[in-house]
Parts: sequence; C-alpha cells; structure tokens
Amino acid sequence: MKSFPNIALTLFCVVLLLPMRAHATVDDALSFALQAADPYVKEGFTVREDYWGGDLPVKQQKAIVHQLFKGNEYWFWMGTDVENARISVHVYDSDGNLAEVEHWQKDHMAAARVVPKTTGSYYLIVEIEKSDRERTHWSLAYGFR
Amino acid sequence: MKHFVFLLPATLAAVTIFSMAGTPSARGDEPKQHIDVGRLPEQATLVDDVIVPVPSEVFGVLDKLGSPNWHDVLRSADVSAPGARSETALLLGDVIAEGFVAVEAQDTEQVKKIGRTVLDLSSALGVRKAVVARSSAIIEDADKKDWTAVRQELDQALSDVKQAMIELHDEELAQLVSLGGWLRGTEALTQVVDRNYTKDSAGLLHQPALLDYFDHRLANMSPRLRSDDIVAHIQKRLPEIRPLIGEADSDISKQSVEQIRDIVHDLVIEIAPPQ
Repeated sequence: MKSFPNIALTLFCVVLLLPMRAHATVDDALSFALQAADPYVKEGFTVREDYWGGDLPVKQQKAIVHQLFKGNEYWFWMGTDVENARISVHVYDSDGNLAEVEHWQKDHMAAARVVPKTTGSYYLIVEIEKSDRERTHWSLAYGFR
Repeated sequence: MKHFVFLLPATLAAVTIFSMAGTPSARGDEPKQHIDVGRLPEQATLVDDVIVPVPSEVFGVLDKLGSPNWHDVLRSADVSAPGARSETALLLGDVIAEGFVAVEAQDTEQVKKIGRTVLDLSSALGVRKAVVARSSAIIEDADKKDWTAVRQELDQALSDVKQAMIELHDEELAQLVSLGGWLRGTEALTQVVDRNYTKDSAGLLHQPALLDYFDHRLANMSPRLRSDDIVAHIQKRLPEIRPLIGEADSDISKQSVEQIRDIVHDLVIEIAPPQ
C-alpha cells in the first residue's frame, strides 16, 4: 500500500503530465502530417512552417477558410497519432464545389491537392471519420509551389 | 515547426458561415462533389480564423507571370521606429513585405539593410530574440544571392515575430504586423499588375476572406489601439477596397486595380513615410 506522500506525489505527477500528454499527441499528429508531406518536398513543394490543429470527436468536421492563389499548386496534409483512426481533408471553392484534383487517405494520414482555378477563398474540411477515441487529435500542414 | 495555432471560436460571419448538406467525405473514399455554403448544420464546427497566406505564395505566382521591373517598385528601407508600438508593428510588417520586393529585384544591399531593419524594429517591440537568427540568415543568404532561402527566412521571420508577440500577450500587435505586411504587399502587387495588366494577374487581388479577416480584427481591437490615428485611418479605408476586388469568377478591371493601389498607397505612406 502506498503512503499518502507517495500517492500525492503520483497524483501530482499525473496532473503535471496530463497537459504534456495532450501537447504530445498534437505534436505526434503533426509528425504524421509532415511524414505525409515529405515526398512532396522532394517534388519542389515549400512546406509552410505554421500548422493548425486541435481535437475532434468522430464525424464532427471543422471548416477552415484559406486564401488560395491561381498559379500556385497546393497540397494539404493532415495527420493523427491515433492508431486505426481514419481522417480526411477535402477542399471546396467559395461556391461549395469540390476543388481538389486529388486526395488520398492512409493510416494516420490524409491529403488533398488543389490547383486553384481562381484566386479567392476556399474551405478546408477536416474530419475524423473513424476512431476508437472520444476525441482525436489532428494536425494540418500545407505546402505550395 | 515551432508554432501551433489553435483555431479560435467562431465569430467571423462573412467568411466562416459554412454549411454542409451532408458530410463532405461521406461513408466511402470519395468526398461529396458539392456542399452548400450559407447555412450552418448542427454537426459542423465554425472556425473563426482564416489562414493568412505567407507572402511567398503571392510572389511565387508573380514569378510565373513574368518579370516586371521590381526596382521600380522597390522603396527605401530607411525607416526608424515610431513612438507608438502599434505603428511600429505596422511598420515591421511593411518592412518585411519590402524584403520580398527587394528579393524580386535581387538587390543584395537592400535585402541586407531590410534584414537589419527587421531586427531593429523587432527590438523596439521587445521581440528581438525571436528574429536574431532569421535576420542573420537573411543577410547571409542575400550575400550568397540565394533568393529562395531569403524568401523562406522572411516568411519565417514574419511568423516568428508574430508568435513571439502572441507569447507576450500582444496578439493585437501581431495582427498589426500582418496587416502592415498585407498593405505593402498589396501595394506592390497593384503596382506590378497595373504596369502590365492582365486579368489573371489582377485576379491575385481577389482576397475577400483576408479583407474581411483584417476588417474584423480591427473592429475588435482594444479602444486604445483603435484610437491610434494610423490604425483608425486603416480601419476607415479598408472597406473601400472590398467592392473593388470583385466577386468570385468576375474580373478585376484595370481601373479597380488603380483605385486599390491609390488606397493602399495612401495607407502605406502613413505607415512608412518617405525619409
């Protein structure tokens, strides 16, 4: 049986580690997004060093507005650290039409490529399609060339 | 990757009112071909944030459109920090944007001067530490004429300085840095487009989400910042640009380009008066 100081110390450490773990999962999610980006960097895409993310329950989406420029080509890469989760990212133009020319989903990753037909606002829709977690951390990065 | 930007709760109605008749990715691998924009379904989460593009995205397109005489667009980087922090933040954004013009002009000395000015202005804002390495890299890369690297360092200097301000709870000043950069970048863009007008190049000015974003940010700034003469003037004149940038799929006329140029030029001159 643990003494009170030991239990208190354990609880204290758990409390300290909880937020660290939350950040760690976001960072882990990002590492998968960047892993997805890696082959495209070799094709000349510049990966923006900022990134976006959070956590979502299954089937809830998040919409992000993004200004895209005709003449550029974009890849959006999404990652999650959760095993067996299925995630997606899709891109729609300001009229709500699917704008991506290509997309894929793999373990821990999803991606969409856009070659904008016009300069303007686009909507990125990210979703956790399947996960055994109540909330699943995700991260999104993008690159352009 | 140093920064993590959490998406904020929703309030930016004009650009974030978003609706989906169904789920975009549905049950299978294929996403829906169309979603309804305009009504918010219960299951969707609104996001009150717009991804503000890095300047390289715009200048990258300009590279592909041709080779304008960037030296004609380039301005002097001889500036000094104004007294007010809000005005210094606007000026810092302006100078970083000027760095991109100097890169386009491949003007080594001007790029190096801008690298040093970025450091001076960052010092005045208390975020020197965040950009020391970037400033040095800008100067070194300019000496090597590695323009791609200079661009990346300028992009990241902008990001680093904003992140440092956010960490110092100066998020509103960080927004002014973005705004100052956007105004000077837009001025340079209009100058280039106006000199060699094409519908495609003018289309680069179609940035409704960014205009709404800045407009919204200014409207929600603290009264202290909004009472600054330059900030107040920007807030007053920004809405004049909105009708000039057109709707999606419509062309932006040469006349509109010139009107936008005149508006942003007036504002840029206030931010960075000629020395």
